[in-house]
Amino acid sequence: MAKKDNAFDRRSFIKTLGLTGGILSLGGMAGAGLAAGKNKDSFTGYGRTAYGEDQFFNRKPFLVDKPTYEKVSKTRRIAYVENLFKRNGELYRLLYPRSNDAQKWSFEQGAEALPEPLKNYYQDNPGALDEFKKSMQKGREQRQNWKKYEKKYLLADAWSNAHASPIHGQGAFPHQPEGKPEDFDFKGVRKERLDFKSRKHASELIKKISHSFGASLVGIAKLKEEWVYQGYMRGVGKTDFEVPKHWKNVIVIAVPHEWDSLYANPTYGTSYDAYSRLRFIAGKLEVFIKEIGYAARSHVPPTSYEIAMPPVAIDAGLGEQGRHGVLITPELGANTRLAGITTNMPLEADKPIDVGIKEFCSKCKICAEECPSGAISFDNSPETIVRGYKRWEIDQDKCFTVWNSVATSHARGCRVCLAVCPYSRKNNWIHNIAREADPRDPTGVFSSALLGMQKKFFKYHGGQEYLPPPDGNNETFNEAPEWLRTEEWFDI
Amino acid sequence: MGFLYTIFAISAVYWAKDLKLKMNWWKWSISAVWFIFLSVTIAGGFTLIGENELRAGLYFLGVFGTVMIVSGVGLIQLIRSK
Repeated sequence: MAKKDNAFDRRSFIKTLGLTGGILSLGGMAGAGLAAGKNKDSFTGYGRTAYGEDQFFNRKPFLVDKPTYEKVSKTRRIAYVENLFKRNGELYRLLYPRSNDAQKWSFEQGAEALPEPLKNYYQDNPGALDEFKKSMQKGREQRQNWKKYEKKYLLADAWSNAHASPIHGQGAFPHQPEGKPEDFDFKGVRKERLDFKSRKHASELIKKISHSFGASLVGIAKLKEEWVYQGYMRGVGKTDFEVPKHWKNVIVIAVPHEWDSLYANPTYGTSYDAYSRLRFIAGKLEVFIKEIGYAARSHVPPTSYEIAMPPVAIDAGLGEQGRHGVLITPELGANTRLAGITTNMPLEADKPIDVGIKEFCSKCKICAEECPSGAISFDNSPETIVRGYKRWEIDQDKCFTVWNSVATSHARGCRVCLAVCPYSRKNNWIHNIAREADPRDPTGVFSSALLGMQKKFFKYHGGQEYLPPPDGNNETFNEAPEWLRTEEWFDI
Repeated sequence: MGFLYTIFAISAVYWAKDLKLKMNWWKWSISAVWFIFLSVTIAGGFTLIGENELRAGLYFLGVFGTVMIVSGVGLIQLIRSK
């Protein structure tokens, strides 16, 4: 009898223990999930080490011979006035000359009175000049309204200014080029250099060095002439120039914005965190390459470029262009900021990739719906032809007006399109399932299901809501992290 | 976690016998897959909550949790069948 009782007890014990174990295991999964979500190691580029799992996506299955941008007609180099910042800078200097000179142009005179090439640009782009005028008006309102928001966004503004501090002025790094690239890019180059064992060795080395300097992603491309700006060269000034012969290859590096601040755009985010890191990495690479005997020139944000980075990054296999015009990479999504180093190092170029981003963007349109300026196209497929390439149109001038409208101390940017992009997700298991499965599904069913979840599960405010009152309510895509919320730390 | 899953699996055999469920290999397989999906649903929802996406996490748990409950009821009917 005692034996039977023992058997019964043991059975009950195992059953109870097992049931408890089952419940605890589900609780454990909840805890493990919570830990995975909070884990800072999932913040690619902001993990615990410089050697973390930054470029973790295996591109091999998705390598293609031709980049995914679509060439439909004759191409040409990009005129420097096609760059918003260069163009606005020119206009601003005409309106407000640096010295005590008289104003050289006014809006009343219209585009006809502008000097070339601005005149040509604004005559070809009617409405752009009015938008610039509107952005200036919004900028004045922004500065006046800042008093209302200064305390609330004190930490965000301070954080952004701190990141901006190494970018401008005398202490900027890397130093701005002086003189012709045939001189400046060779300045400090070691005269005697060792021969690399092969181009592959050179590429592998430069990628390892780039990661050691803090680059999250690194790719290498042969420089195509059409990606080089025309009409302005740093260190020389306004000039039409041939692409320097020693700009054979481009090393493209990418880092993300700090993830939680990115999701809190437009008011809590900044571009300067990524910009300052890119400048340090690119500047150090420039020095490193010169130290081993090759010419180098860094092209860094916000505006110190002679090359257009997104298409070069596509050539280098880092990602593809999205609807919002920003590069989307498998690891960082649209949270990808770029810099480059042109060099004559003998490098092996990477192949471009096709992970189906154009197909996804055709269906998605979240960035267009959430853009506070309405600058992003709703077209189902890329239909605008820009310098011979089909792409989704971006109205840069409208975008800049919002920079001057959101509740920041000055035109600090917006980045809502980067934050709301479904590809801009951290490196944890649940998003990695999407990263790996979506490009392998030829039917598109998986991406449609993901997109459905994205639109239903996540909260989207609608474009206008990101603007200050009366147009909107200063919404951010996601809640700001506590370390950027002034009210968490100060009595206000 | 491995220990908890192991003792749960061992006890499931006893539970099935005591509840007089006529289990076979495919019933066990489906039950195991269901429990894995339940675990993944819970982990997925809480991962989203952990990364400060409370709304998405709750929606995830709500939608897929409902799917798991409904499929669980179906699974019980299935394993009770002959």
